[in-house]
Amino acid sequence: MSISSSRKTTNTVMLSLATAATVVGLFFLGAILVTLLIRGLSAISPRIFLENTPPPGSDGGLLNAIFGSLAMTFVAIIVATPIGILAGTYLTEYSRGSRLGEVAKFINDILLSAPSIIIGLFVYTVLVVPFGHFSAWAGAASLGLIALPVINRTTQDMLGLVPSALREAAAALGAPRWKVMTNVVYRAARNGILTGVLLAIARVTGETAPLLFTALNNQFWSTDLGAPMANLPVVIFQFALSPYDDWQKLAWGGALIITTSILALNIIARSLAGKQQS
Amino acid sequence: MAVTADSVAVISEDAALRQARRSQTQDRVFYYMTMASAAFVVLMLLGVMVSLVVGAWPAFSTFGLSFIWTQKWSPVKEIFGALAPIYGTLVTSVIAMIIGIPVSFGIAIFLTELCPQSLRRPIGTAIELLAGIPSIIYGLWGFFVLAPLLQATVQPFLIGSLGNVPVIGMLFGGAPYGIGLFTAGIVLAIMVLPFITSVTRDVFLTVPVLLRESAYGMGMTTWEVVRYIVIPYTRVGLVGGIMLGLGRALGETMAVTFVIGNSYNISPSLIAPATTISASIANEFSEATGGLYTSSLIALGCILFVITFTVLAAAKWLLVSTEAK
Repeated sequence: MSISSSRKTTNTVMLSLATAATVVGLFFLGAILVTLLIRGLSAISPRIFLENTPPPGSDGGLLNAIFGSLAMTFVAIIVATPIGILAGTYLTEYSRGSRLGEVAKFINDILLSAPSIIIGLFVYTVLVVPFGHFSAWAGAASLGLIALPVINRTTQDMLGLVPSALREAAAALGAPRWKVMTNVVYRAARNGILTGVLLAIARVTGETAPLLFTALNNQFWSTDLGAPMANLPVVIFQFALSPYDDWQKLAWGGALIITTSILALNIIARSLAGKQQS
Repeated sequence: MAVTADSVAVISEDAALRQARRSQTQDRVFYYMTMASAAFVVLMLLGVMVSLVVGAWPAFSTFGLSFIWTQKWSPVKEIFGALAPIYGTLVTSVIAMIIGIPVSFGIAIFLTELCPQSLRRPIGTAIELLAGIPSIIYGLWGFFVLAPLLQATVQPFLIGSLGNVPVIGMLFGGAPYGIGLFTAGIVLAIMVLPFITSVTRDVFLTVPVLLRESAYGMGMTTWEVVRYIVIPYTRVGLVGGIMLGLGRALGETMAVTFVIGNSYNISPSLIAPATTISASIANEFSEATGGLYTSSLIALGCILFVITFTVLAAAKWLLVSTEAK
């Protein structure tokens, strides 16, 4: 009797702890989002989207930083998407069972979770040192290198979901393999691949570390990709750690913009992926 | 009449042949494009390795291997050693794991064993959204919300109570700065939660229903099923998930940079300011003057790469071997 009641007590205690752990996890998510909303909303005004980053002590917005982030993300995704999709195609369609394919999959997964600051160091030595100055191209390259494994991996997963019968049916009609891929398999996996691209954009949007020494920052409006360019994450980093109140306020505003867009991208990607699997 | 029919047949045969050849070429081009893209990914990793080693070479050849266990970091005198950042990286990650693993396991147990079916998806998604929040946001939150809170409440309490105990007291000595190893460890713990939780939940779900039900049939309580059936069955996958989280924690940059305090002192106290490899690079790289300074920072990156590569490769290997099971 006492053994069974002590077993019951252990059970109750452990399961309560598990529930408490879930509450803790959700609490932190809530705490972070609430802080962001409270501090961020008070900083959001039309001005934030209309004016450039100010010198300390005067008013301004984040226009140049928002533009810079969008521009670099755009370049990064435009380049990384085709390479990622093609690499994913090779790894699911052409290299099944081959050792080279296994190695490439493994390396892609390592790149997927490799610290982004190391990607930044790499791009710095390849694209900043030889040219002698920081540039938005280098920033876009490091973002692209972070997006690439995400797109590659999702493409692999999604192409794996396309039934072989579809490929065989197209091949039986006499379609050459590349047409089977582009006209049948990609179409069937379209939502899934798009999910990968959205997730890659979400991942890249908040990346700060690799931009610190590739794109650097720029206090002024600039559309020159060959020069340092302002971007939201680095501006947030710089402004948040500054002693000026209005800079810190702008940092919170920027943080809210970034997080809202990332969470929105994540939710859209999830619903698309859900459609793909059904 | 017959002639025309013949020539039509010849032409169409010809056209079919050309068509076949063309699609053969197209096929080959497409194949090489995909292969080149896959090779590009591999080349990038090789490029990262080579560039790190080349960039770190001046530092390693100046200081030798003792770079790794030298504590001094003095840009003015051009003497650099990696011990303090390595120490900080390891300690913050260990704190993150000590807090993060039980909480993640708890969430996974809740999600697989206790949670009502209708709440599973929303709660699971909410936890996964934690992974989507960029690290700079964790940094902001840690710096402006968590650090002052810890400074005002938890840290004085730790110093006042455990700080007076012999031996353990050393871990909680000094003034409550708010920022430091302890705070960075907590922020990292929150950040690795979604990674460990989602792997844990996924491997928990691989336990065959039959096994689970036989255990319940024997009269086991839910906790006993988890403890004696589910966890032993999924052991390898669990370690893989932990390693994945550890890999994240070791390389995390921005969140740590905000709350670590950037001090090259190695103090026995867990609440003292310190630095990590990634925080040192993020803080100093763009201001580093002189080849040796830059090279030493790249050497730090090189060490970080070796550590995270090993951990992530082990994680991957463990997880693949569970999938194969």
